[in-house]
Amino acid sequence: MTAPAASAPVGVQTSRGAPPVWWVVMKQELLELWSGGRVLNFLVLFTLLMSLTAFLLATNTELHLLDPEQTVVVALTSALTFGLFIGLAIGAESISGERERATLEPLLLTPSGNRQLVLGKFLAAMSPWPAAMALTLPYMAALSQGRQVLGEAVLWGALSGTLLAGAFVALAMMVSIWSNSSRLSLFICLLVYAASLIPAQLPTEFLASPGGVLITLLDPVESSDQLLSKVLTSGEPLSQAWPYLASPAIALALALGALFGYAAPRLRLTARG
Amino acid sequence: MFQTRDSGADDRSQILHAEGLRKVYGARTALKNLSFSLQAGRVVGFLGPNGAGKTTSIRILTTILQPSSGHFVVDGISSDHPEEIRRRIGVLPEGLGFPRQLTGLRYLTYYGELFGRATAEARAVADQLLDEVGLKARAQSPIGSYSHGMRQRLGIARALVNDPAVVFFDEPTLGLDPRGQRELLGLIQAVARQRHKGVVLSSHLLSEIEGVCDDVVIMNAGEVVAKGSVADVIGQGGHDPIAVRVRVPVSALDTARGLIEALPSVRAAVPADDGSGWLGVQLVPENGSSDPGPRTVNRILETLIAADVPIAGVDSGANRLEDVFLRLTTETIQ
Repeated sequence: MTAPAASAPVGVQTSRGAPPVWWVVMKQELLELWSGGRVLNFLVLFTLLMSLTAFLLATNTELHLLDPEQTVVVALTSALTFGLFIGLAIGAESISGERERATLEPLLLTPSGNRQLVLGKFLAAMSPWPAAMALTLPYMAALSQGRQVLGEAVLWGALSGTLLAGAFVALAMMVSIWSNSSRLSLFICLLVYAASLIPAQLPTEFLASPGGVLITLLDPVESSDQLLSKVLTSGEPLSQAWPYLASPAIALALALGALFGYAAPRLRLTARG
Repeated sequence: MFQTRDSGADDRSQILHAEGLRKVYGARTALKNLSFSLQAGRVVGFLGPNGAGKTTSIRILTTILQPSSGHFVVDGISSDHPEEIRRRIGVLPEGLGFPRQLTGLRYLTYYGELFGRATAEARAVADQLLDEVGLKARAQSPIGSYSHGMRQRLGIARALVNDPAVVFFDEPTLGLDPRGQRELLGLIQAVARQRHKGVVLSSHLLSEIEGVCDDVVIMNAGEVVAKGSVADVIGQGGHDPIAVRVRVPVSALDTARGLIEALPSVRAAVPADDGSGWLGVQLVPENGSSDPGPRTVNRILETLIAADVPIAGVDSGANRLEDVFLRLTTETIQ
């Protein structure tokens, strides 16, 4: 058995001042996602949906059906829902898309290690979320009608949104690692996404029951919505509402652990290994 | 026993050594007991029909696939250290895809950075490689605007960004026109001869292997059926290698066969199975060689001309590897 040599006559050894591989991959992915127009297309769609949502909410406010605080929460939860979809779609395509384009093999042939590749792609796939959050600000500002809720909404929206975006991107990338086709990975991710939105459709009475609370806590999206509603409209302190923040935080921790601890080292040329 | 980096000057020139590589998928064995060696500056050809195990072999040797059993050593590094091996190999995979919107220069710089080069250094290497493969003028053009041949040349440049010890080319000329094929094979030969790299070239085109390779490994159904230098493998192919081929009209085939076989230096004249009118002439070996001297060929042709048999073509036997290949792969199938 031969041990790796300390110095080699050929083959590049890492140069001093060379950027880490995850940084190189992230930079490249950002370039492709943003200058390739993919993220911009998603953000245009996001803006249209947010405009429609804000218009409907403003109409409700005119009719005195909703308080400004409630409209801000609805706008924020809508932004979360639409924003998560962008990360999900990009994550679902991140690896399986490389397989489809036959560009994965040269990446796997670099000495960088799969975790670094996956980390670079993960961070790039997270990049649309801050942009979506920034685009949401003018809508929330207009809907808040000068109430103090805006500052808190930005803080809690950014926090819970980042947790959720990380969890969904990590999940989508895991699915992508084990899919040979982007359509398949996107389909599976959309099923999970749709399932996470189901609790929001359940009757309010049921959600208030112990079973409903459990379902809410198990679903990080619904949990985040509940957190925003309780903190921003009911004025509940975090000491009471924290379980609803724990859910997306745990989801993120689990998804990241599974992605980097289990899936990334098993990334292969084909989904079946 | 595998050599280590310190095991002497002779071993250092042996840049790749594989021993008993095997790959099994469930009940199917995709590769059985592949063993061979490669020296720096030489080209070894993996030859075989589709599904022979060429790509599986290359994917194992490039650490993309794990072998079910067996070992290999690249530039003194054992296959137990795949990340270190990846630093020492370059690969042009079959059907490689490219990001269409990137420029050739940016693409090569990106891969240079992935191999641990600082950005400025990666860019300088990319510039140099683009020049070497004849793409300098198109360095700033998006890859989407490149022809297939240009993309393959870019793929060769990418395989060299890390200054590898061994370079693998998997069916590199697939889909190229004859001129593109010739240019690409010239580049591949230059990688071995001028850069003194070990080159593994996989192909199912015999002319490629015969024209470019020093050594050959013939595979069929996952099994190595012959290996060695091209000349040795031709020798392994059978007792009666075809020395020269003569094509005559099909109506004159029997006459021509009789005339040629009557010559003292000829062992047999075998008609091709495809009814094309080609006669494969096998000579009686002289001093252990069955190579046709020019006079032997002249005598065959003079005999046919004297008998007024029209000669539609003469092949000096440059495709003898084809005969060996067909014989060996057919025997294995049977």
